[in-house]
Amino acid sequence: MEFVSTQIAGFWLAFTDLATDPVTYVYLVASVFLGIVFGALPGLTATLAVTILTGFFSNKFPLEQSLIALIGAYVGAIYGGSYPSILLNIPGTAASAATAMDGYPLTRNGRGGEALGITTTASFIGTLFGTVCLLIFVWVLLLISRNIASPEKALLALFGILLSGTLMSRDLVIKGWISGLIGLAMAMVGLDPILSEDRYTFGWPYLLSGFQIVPVLMGAFAIPQIMDGLRATVMAAQMPRVGRIVPRFAEVLRRLPSITRSGAIGTGVGALPGVGEDVAGWVSYGVGKASSREGGKFGKGSVDGLISAEAANNAAIGGALIPLLVLGIPGSPPAAALLGALKINNVIPGPTIDPALILRVVAILVMASITMFIMGLFTARVFIMILRIPQTVFLPVVMVLTTIGSFSVGGGINDLFLMICVGLFAYAMNVMKYPIAPLVIGAILGGLFDETFRRSLLISDGDPSVFFSRPGAAILLTLNVLLILSQLPVVQRLFTRLTGKKENAA
Amino acid sequence: MADTTIMRRRDFWTALFLIVVSAFFLYRTSLIPFFRADAAGVQGAWFNSAALVPLGIFSALLLLSFVLLAIAIRDGGATQLLRSKALGFTGGEAERLLCVALILCAYIFLLVPRVDFIACSALLITALIWGFHTGNPVARRLSTLLVLLPALYAGIAHFPRAEWTKPHDDDIATVAAFALLTAVMFAYERRRGPVSRVVRLTPVIAIIVPLLLVIAMAFGFRQNVPNRQGLLFSKIDYHYYVTLKPLWSSR
Repeated sequence: MEFVSTQIAGFWLAFTDLATDPVTYVYLVASVFLGIVFGALPGLTATLAVTILTGFFSNKFPLEQSLIALIGAYVGAIYGGSYPSILLNIPGTAASAATAMDGYPLTRNGRGGEALGITTTASFIGTLFGTVCLLIFVWVLLLISRNIASPEKALLALFGILLSGTLMSRDLVIKGWISGLIGLAMAMVGLDPILSEDRYTFGWPYLLSGFQIVPVLMGAFAIPQIMDGLRATVMAAQMPRVGRIVPRFAEVLRRLPSITRSGAIGTGVGALPGVGEDVAGWVSYGVGKASSREGGKFGKGSVDGLISAEAANNAAIGGALIPLLVLGIPGSPPAAALLGALKINNVIPGPTIDPALILRVVAILVMASITMFIMGLFTARVFIMILRIPQTVFLPVVMVLTTIGSFSVGGGINDLFLMICVGLFAYAMNVMKYPIAPLVIGAILGGLFDETFRRSLLISDGDPSVFFSRPGAAILLTLNVLLILSQLPVVQRLFTRLTGKKENAA
Repeated sequence: MADTTIMRRRDFWTALFLIVVSAFFLYRTSLIPFFRADAAGVQGAWFNSAALVPLGIFSALLLLSFVLLAIAIRDGGATQLLRSKALGFTGGEAERLLCVALILCAYIFLLVPRVDFIACSALLITALIWGFHTGNPVARRLSTLLVLLPALYAGIAHFPRAEWTKPHDDDIATVAAFALLTAVMFAYERRRGPVSRVVRLTPVIAIIVPLLLVIAMAFGFRQNVPNRQGLLFSKIDYHYYVTLKPLWSSR
């Protein structure tokens, strides 16, 4: 009980500190607006919004202020993706792909305004739900994480990369794993963290410090979008008419169980290392279809279907920040960009993180979701107008934004060269249907994996049993092995045969 | 042709590429000390070697590449050579893609390091909007050409790194290319009929966006910006510190 009251008191202190500072509102309104615009414009993503702002703020602004801008943009962008999904049947971000399944049929039935209103409310409640979970579970995990040593960290980083590769693949799972391995390989460039051995620098001094996170993120997420957007001529779409946007209170109350269920699923999936909002949306949609009374109407314009996707992808934000803050392992690609911002400011997330920073993050999330809610309900028509801007007009502007953002982080022109090379490579990977998220997660977690894996062996004097003699490590090793085994065709066939026999017997 | 067959054909070539790359990096890894990994005053052993994790990564990559190759061959992906159609593009799309890639590479590798950021960004924005908005091949080719010309000039005439940030005639060449492209755009569009709103707004966006962005970054966000000695930014920088700043900082 004392823990709960201390938590609430700490949160309230951080919240009032933020709410009474006028600068907070300047950052919040601007960043949430920018985030919604980035989310709403097809081709721009939440990760890109957070990464570009990281370039703008980097280390010249106090971290407290930078975090307001970055988290505001994150919350806004995940929500903003619902606009084109609902109105045009074009997902603004991958996270809102499931939203289009029911959002667009609702718009075709003349209920676009209602869909936008209930989406805004579900996203708001979903974000708050994820934030409350963050506030509770981050401390529980922090207590546990004190027992986490190098072997567990190495295996957790590996699990994050494997899981991301498995769940993000649109084609063969092996492609997700290859993408993760390429990311890991990218992290090996530069001086190694233990012996300072020069690796794969080919005599270029810039590479001694390894690949910088921000140019890699910008290259991986911006350049492919720009190239793909300009490859095909897409004209601005005609906007359908939307009616009343503000939802009725009774309707929201009636949908509260669905919102809560989706929020819980979203937070849980978001907390898985390297997975993120898009998977959260689909998982929640699938569960909603199976459990909702409206399950049969899913895909034909069901409000419950819409809520399932939208509440979950926003709740995943809070979930994604749990492993980020506790272990330094991002739960989603935008959280990876946040990790980049924290590192630029010399903040290393993990068991030693400043508790005041966690409470501030929670307070910022609450304020950002309130700002998003107000903007979503009362300025939605502005965002609908923005949807009319054709890709060929805003993508060149994004290229300039990306260039100056990447340049300003610190590495100068070399960072730009890195950005374009990663971008062209990421575009080729996109064409070949390799997911980009595992590559980024691999590039970010590779250094941690290398250091902790070798340190584990160093401590145990080369005895590999260190990876299964500790209970935590044994569990994580089992999870890694099971994850790999579960994707092997032989195991899958065996599993299908076993479940088939059981069903026949029943 | 079925999507899966096209995809496996791509996978066949990707797998071959990945096999070569992982074999090359395995060779590079073999150059890092493994069994006697003494470095930086630390006595090393195999489990401490800087080569340990890369060895695992590239071995796994090699293994997965062979698995991918096997899948591609099994699913009929090795029967024909890779063509643009097999990559999933039409001829027109492939040309558009090539033009975008050329413009982006010219901008990042040749223009941004050597030329004033406002000027080269204005040229980039104009080229990308006009060249790709309507899908007209003439507009696209002219835009690409007018980006490549000043970029190649800057790259060839001022290749050494020592010359990158110095003010040169390449700034003038870029501004001239921007003006020429804008003029060509209006002349061409007027000949085809009424000038669209996007075309009318293009020069405004092209000038305002980089101008505001660079001013905000340099003086608002206090961040580093490319080419501070550039033709236009050097003037802005000078007037900010010499003309404007004294108005509020000296009393």
